[in-house]
Amino acid sequence: MMSMRIALITTFLLGGLPIAGHHAFGGEFDANRPVLLRGKIVKVELVNPHTWIHIEVVKEDGTKEVWMVEGGSPNSLLRRGVTKASLPEGTEIVVDGYQSRDHTLKRANGRNVTFTDGRKLFLGSSGPGEPPKDAVPTDQAKPPSR
Amino acid sequence: MRNAFIVFVLTAVTIAAQAPKPYTAPRMPDGHPDLQGTYDLATLTPIERPAGMNAVLTKEEAAKLERAAAVAREEGDKSIKGDRSAPPKGGDGSRGPAGNVGGYNTGWLDPGSTYTVVDGQKRSSIVIDPPNGRVPTMKPAALRRTLSLIARPTSDAQESNDPGLEPAGSYDDPERRPLGERCLLGFGSTSGPPALPDYFYNNLHQIVQTRDSVMILTEMVHDARIVRMNAQHLPKTIRRWMGDSIGRWDGDTLVVDTTNFTDKTRFRGSTENLHVIERFTRIDARTLLYRFTIEDPDTWEKPWTGEYAWPATNERIFEYACHEANYALPGILSGARLREKEGGK
Repeated sequence: MMSMRIALITTFLLGGLPIAGHHAFGGEFDANRPVLLRGKIVKVELVNPHTWIHIEVVKEDGTKEVWMVEGGSPNSLLRRGVTKASLPEGTEIVVDGYQSRDHTLKRANGRNVTFTDGRKLFLGSSGPGEPPKDAVPTDQAKPPSR
Repeated sequence: MRNAFIVFVLTAVTIAAQAPKPYTAPRMPDGHPDLQGTYDLATLTPIERPAGMNAVLTKEEAAKLERAAAVAREEGDKSIKGDRSAPPKGGDGSRGPAGNVGGYNTGWLDPGSTYTVVDGQKRSSIVIDPPNGRVPTMKPAALRRTLSLIARPTSDAQESNDPGLEPAGSYDDPERRPLGERCLLGFGSTSGPPALPDYFYNNLHQIVQTRDSVMILTEMVHDARIVRMNAQHLPKTIRRWMGDSIGRWDGDTLVVDTTNFTDKTRFRGSTENLHVIERFTRIDARTLLYRFTIEDPDTWEKPWTGEYAWPATNERIFEYACHEANYALPGILSGARLREKEGGK
């Protein structure tokens, strides 16, 4: 057991660059609390280190509660032309993810964030997530391989 | 014999005429190469070479891998059912940073789409020395030191068996959380030194250069490293999280020597005696070659070296003001306190 534990920790330390490369999803969200949220956007925080999309969810008993959904950094979205105006208030979205480990908070990770028809947010396809025509995709801004 | 000599001379002249003109970088007023610009460090080339790969990928191999990455992204971008159910209880099986709860849609990410090109070759690893492309194994004492730091609970909270959680004690207080998560310094080694790709997003770096100082700005987490040119290192008693960087010119290459680290960063388990030597060379109008050598006799038997290209980008660096809206960190800690109240469940 101990050797396995050391192996796990060693992996975490030495091979674990991707883990070190981001914050602890597993420490923030609870794999035993899956959620499916459907609701209208009431607020979008394009802030670092994470974007938070606030949606109003109507529960089965008719009462409403606001959930916060965690996304990635807004910087890469801004480079693709996505702005606050790309996700207007009132847009209905569907989120599947896991609730925060602090269960007193109505928060979840945006494992999949889509419009109601299943289209993912922030893609080049038509819809509110579409980048403006003059946006330069990052990969095209790079020089060709030498 | 005379004819042979003439053929030799003519061949040499022909080859010389065909050889590409060596690149000369534009100059700063002080006569040194101008390294300034914004560079996108995103690349598919990993730090260490995956097992079974050659150091240099053939064009076909690189094209196949790059296509596979593009297809994975396209797959990730595809629509799914709008009328779907919640993910499975107990986790969705995702690994790595997503820690069994899934990460984000690929639309958020910008991890790079091509393998780095050095000397016209697609490289399979950033590490080039040792020649196997792998970071040397840590000395046993260094491994013990590192393990003792990580797996040291500071509370008597019952250890959870939840696979999504890090070792006991990892959430005991804010200072035990990684510097990136605390918005203090780049994730992994994005700010460096050595400056490495994040493999996630926000890989932009900007260089601003004067005669006396060179600044290297890392987008995530908004770290500005100042290299003092032709200076001496600070006394050993003065230590900095990104170390003390001094620079000099070796021909057209900027050489940056960094020492005086603290024990806060511990790059890949190193000590505060880490010594990083970086070499920045402009190799064409749109590319820097970045090479680094890592020395720490308390951690590795021998120094090791890596290199990769920094392609210029027309994109702008955005501010990464991180602390004010870092809801994740308090959430992680309050979740841990709740687990303690509930008896480690």
